Amino acid sequence: MSTLALLLTQSVNALSQAALLFFLGVGLTLIFGLMRIVNFAHGALYMLGAFVGYSLSSWSGNFWFALAGAPVLVGLFGTAFEFTILRRLYRRDAHAFLMVTFGLALVVGEAVRLIWGADALQVAAPPLLSGVIFLLDEPFPVYRLFLVAAGIVVAVAIWQFLERARLGLLIRATSQNADMASALGVDIKLIRSCVFGIGCGLAALGGVLAAPLVTASNGMAATVIIDAFVIVIIGGMGSFLGSLIGALLIGFVQVFGNYYAPDFALAFMYLVMLAVLVVRPGGLLGKEA
Amino acid sequence: MLGVTRMRGTTRLIWIVVALAMVLAPLGLPPFAMTLLTEAVILGLFAMSLDLMFGFTRLVSFGHAAAYGFGAYACGWMLLHTGMPLLFAVFAAGLLTGVIAIGVGWMCTLAIGVSFSMLTLAFAQLLYAISFKWTSVTGGSDGLAGIPRTVGPFGFAALSSKAGFYYLALGCLVGGFLACSALVRSPFGAVLRGIRENEAKTTSLGYNTRLYKIAVVAVAYGLGGLAGALYAPFAGFANTELLFWLLSGQVLIMVIVGGAGTLIGPVLGAAFFMLMEHQLSALTEAWALYFGLIFIAFVLFAPQGIWGLATGRLQMGRLRANPRP
Amino acid sequence: MPLLELDGVTRKYGALVALDQVAMTVEEGEVRAIIGPNGAGKTTLFNVITGTVKPTAGQIRFAGQPIAGLASHQICRLGISRTFQITALFPEMSARENARLAAQARHPRRWQPFGGARIFTEAGLRADAALEQLGLSAIADRPAGLLSHGDQRLLEVAMAMAQQPRVLLLDEPTQGLSVEETEQAVDTLARFLQTSRMTVLLVEHDMEVVFRLAHRITVLHRGTVIADGAPDQVKADPGVQDAYLGGFA
Repeated sequence: MSTLALLLTQSVNALSQAALLFFLGVGLTLIFGLMRIVNFAHGALYMLGAFVGYSLSSWSGNFWFALAGAPVLVGLFGTAFEFTILRRLYRRDAHAFLMVTFGLALVVGEAVRLIWGADALQVAAPPLLSGVIFLLDEPFPVYRLFLVAAGIVVAVAIWQFLERARLGLLIRATSQNADMASALGVDIKLIRSCVFGIGCGLAALGGVLAAPLVTASNGMAATVIIDAFVIVIIGGMGSFLGSLIGALLIGFVQVFGNYYAPDFALAFMYLVMLAVLVVRPGGLLGKEA
Repeated sequence: MLGVTRMRGTTRLIWIVVALAMVLAPLGLPPFAMTLLTEAVILGLFAMSLDLMFGFTRLVSFGHAAAYGFGAYACGWMLLHTGMPLLFAVFAAGLLTGVIAIGVGWMCTLAIGVSFSMLTLAFAQLLYAISFKWTSVTGGSDGLAGIPRTVGPFGFAALSSKAGFYYLALGCLVGGFLACSALVRSPFGAVLRGIRENEAKTTSLGYNTRLYKIAVVAVAYGLGGLAGALYAPFAGFANTELLFWLLSGQVLIMVIVGGAGTLIGPVLGAAFFMLMEHQLSALTEAWALYFGLIFIAFVLFAPQGIWGLATGRLQMGRLRANPRP
Repeated sequence: MPLLELDGVTRKYGALVALDQVAMTVEEGEVRAIIGPNGAGKTTLFNVITGTVKPTAGQIRFAGQPIAGLASHQICRLGISRTFQITALFPEMSARENARLAAQARHPRRWQPFGGARIFTEAGLRADAALEQLGLSAIADRPAGLLSHGDQRLLEVAMAMAQQPRVLLLDEPTQGLSVEETEQAVDTLARFLQTSRMTVLLVEHDMEVVFRLAHRITVLHRGTVIADGAPDQVKADPGVQDAYLGGFA
């Protein structure tokens, strides 16, 4: 394989990995930016998305249905959780959120194991996205290219949503100054529930999209929650652009690291995070947490 | 502050009874109960060490298993490969963990808040990954097996028996408790309390808070490592599960459910956890799920934990660090 | 020798010049008020003096010793204590424990990991003295988080005093207080300043408070000193009246 082809293949892999990481990270950062909540359950919700996606696609025989349905279901679940439990904690100190979402992660993790069993489950990609296409005489899995495209589409959609849509503006306003927004008549409680739901939905979207690639398994949540936090910490908690940059950076570090030095790939990721924290403790684009 | 000094005659009596029961246990309890009790004591020490960081300094660690696992592997390796006396190996492993934790603390305190917590988790995961890869030293995914309870200095073999080992563990727990009590009531402890309630203010008063945080991380990890070092010869093995983040989460739950910031609470939390694990798992496969729900309930409705409820302490975190008019 | 001297102190944040060639001398025992419209750079000035933020240029001398560039906890130990605009306390500790922790910071063995009975006693004495000076002895055992807002503001001053500083920086001590609370607080502060003869830098928006407490006033506007002198002088200064649209009677 020529070097250019190798670079191209690995870059596509890195970009598709970055896309998955982005789905994870953007939800986490949006939730933190608005509510100062560190959602430790994010990895578990990603995993839940994968398993719900499996069930939906098995039941309907249609991957696209699962792709649409899983994020919605998990998003609603997230909203319900915020409504019933997280709401009680806004007057308490920040650690309460961390603990409760950690509890949620445990509960969701166990529930998944009980409902779907301990085995990894295979989710089939739709025929449209299976197979390879050839560029420069090298095969590229169509699914990975689809992931990259999906990542771009979602990133642009969220960006435009935050910039232009009324709800997006309200979210940004409330993130910066909740009291002010409330004084202007914004229903903060509703916005918080929405954002938490959207964040969870995005995590689930990542899970469903990842499932055909990595299979749905019980161990997903643990590895993925760290990845999510690493990219959000690097990019800066609360920064949308930061989560994008973090995802790209870690996507490339992980893929190229795994290819050239598989034993040390994990260490590379942590070293990058450490380096960023030393130079800019708030993350590359973040406000101080 | 620890509830001990505010006790009246009747509660003091209860304490004496408990202490006697703990000391006389090997005489009355059947072997399997002794095993459970010893494990509870070891876990109690582990949880108490985290309380120093979390309960007294509000440093949330998601990676405390790193201390436990490292202590276990270090002690296990020493017992397997050097034939060191049990007592020495256990304390050496604990000490080693504490010393290395100075470096860990230095790195993690580069950040504050959530970033600090993530760094502790990252470090634990790194250790976890290393334990899989460094097969020659750690035994890879199989871990270290057949760890012996070596004979002590001058042929002192009393510690190797079930009862003897129990007293060793109990001694470590009580010793650890006394040391931690002294620490939290000292001037150093007063600064930790300041960091817990308002770190920025503590810094503005002129304290170099980072040094204090590094020190408390080192002591906490050291004691956690001691607990792990006790576990290795107790169970006879050390494996990657001891470094996994699930354990880090479980010990955090023990601290909170037991009552953070009390030293005694987390020990109770560890006992409670073990009770749940052994009793509920017999009843239902979903015990971990129920335990997670119990945990959430505690955070919501009883954040002062079991011990806090028992001693009627002021609810943690009810007063804000920056009061509004 | 003046206790505190600022010479050409400048602080830039990119293109924004928060402080521009600020020069000031404060004598021992003087109460100097720093006033100016919002955004004038008053808090930045405090931050630069206490070392929270480093000046981009210029020198700061404390009792003749240059301190610009030192870490904030080092500057604190040299004898400069400060209170903040937004109340910052240890809410679950009693007022006394708050002040005691502040006093402990000055003890050479503040970090001692065992015992410490003597350290606590010594720090406790200083804490009690400071609480007494600020009229807070009655509520010494109440948790700080449960005190009235006025008492909380005074407790912060007491904590700074417990450190036996040579210079006290008060950042809007009456911030957030009602009219009555302000009156009471100012009465207490006036008495305290008279008896202690403390050197104080005071940032305040409330002009009545300024005129009651200050010996001299320095006026900041957009980072520069536009007036500096006795209260009556500054009151009459046209430049100052301009800066504060509408002036003050």
